[in-house]
Amino acid sequence: MALPQSLRTSVTPLELELIASEQLVEIVPLITMEKTAFISGAYGPLRPPAKCRIPLWMATNLKLKKKCHIVPPEWLSVDFLLERLTRETSRPEFSKLPFRFAEIAKVVLDVASDDVQNADKIKSLLKDLREARQAKSRDGLQKLDHSELSLPNLCSMEINEIRPFFIQSMGILTQLVREPSAE
Amino acid sequence: MDVDDDDFFTNLDRPGRAANNNTFQERLRRASRDDDGAEIPDAPPFMFEEEEETPLQQLIRHWMNERHSPDILPNEGELLAGLLDHIRSQSETVQLLRTDPSSSEEEHFRIVLVQTEVERVKFIVRSYLRTRLFKIEKFARYIMTNPQVQQQLSESEVEHARRFARLTDQHFYHSVLQSLPETQQTLDDQPPFVPSMVTEPDKGRAVFVLARQDCPPVRLPDGTALDMRKGHISLTPYSVVEQLVARGEAELV
Repeated sequence: MALPQSLRTSVTPLELELIASEQLVEIVPLITMEKTAFISGAYGPLRPPAKCRIPLWMATNLKLKKKCHIVPPEWLSVDFLLERLTRETSRPEFSKLPFRFAEIAKVVLDVASDDVQNADKIKSLLKDLREARQAKSRDGLQKLDHSELSLPNLCSMEINEIRPFFIQSMGILTQLVREPSAE
Repeated sequence: MDVDDDDFFTNLDRPGRAANNNTFQERLRRASRDDDGAEIPDAPPFMFEEEEETPLQQLIRHWMNERHSPDILPNEGELLAGLLDHIRSQSETVQLLRTDPSSSEEEHFRIVLVQTEVERVKFIVRSYLRTRLFKIEKFARYIMTNPQVQQQLSESEVEHARRFARLTDQHFYHSVLQSLPETQQTLDDQPPFVPSMVTEPDKGRAVFVLARQDCPPVRLPDGTALDMRKGHISLTPYSVVEQLVARGEAELV
């Protein structure tokens, strides 16, 4: 089959991770490399200890070979996440986070937890944040109708999580609305 | 269809490809040597959406649109051909450098990185084409009865749809239909109150849409208008945002 059954209704978290890994991240290189042309653009030159911006996948690759340190993005810090968590639990709407924060945080924490300050604390904050937001998206289901549901500041991984259920629910609501006029 | 062999990418090549002047080596030579990162943009990290889309980012967007949309979208032949050329030139350079015994250890690092990227892009290209292939097979009869849809596909895609539709028709006829009464032998009945026999895209299916810019208002099924500002995310039937996605003003996520 051209497309396996499991990929037909949604994308997988791994595919989202692949997309998120195209985003640029700052690194402190431990090797020198001349400026090099890639399909997505030219990166470099790497000259330790000057910082450089390269795609996350490249940073992951170098980090795993211990050839660089990844500088975690500003939002991946205890202060920022704590502030967002307070806002998340005190206000009804979703607070603003980078669209692919879940994927990037996962990759950075997986391969470079030694470059992140208070990695454990950040992990638990991310988990709390996720739970608070999940509860909100479940509440959003109450407001679902057949025509539109606005979901400001929802992030890519969260959309993927609720996708199958929400799409099916909306399909059923559409059928219920359409039925009377058809008869 | 075997998408894993290397000829697959060569076969996809189209006539009239742009002159190839952006090889890895050439661009390497042209790249300024000693600028010590002076041209790092001031943009905050992870805000690349503000910058102009590279061909790869465009392909990723079309790939995701294709994956999420219930309909088959217009073929992105030119974009694909450009990227395939790029993949090929990068691979050729890698081959060249690999066979060169004088390349240093630093060179090896770059080769590995370039190769990694080529594999990543190939994955996306394959997944994009497989998604289209899946839809072409699913909607083969619909495509063949609808010339407007055919215009959106590439020649080889239409040819595939034609052959696929013919094969399934013949198969159904030989295995079942020929032993049925003549009035029941057709495959394109449209009886009242039941869905048509020809599988059509369900444009009423809901999709998650993200506005890439401020969009003109669109009309919702309940009669109200939806005015999407840049960055707005919405769950709505595909038919509502079909035009916005086609014009690139919104993307499916």
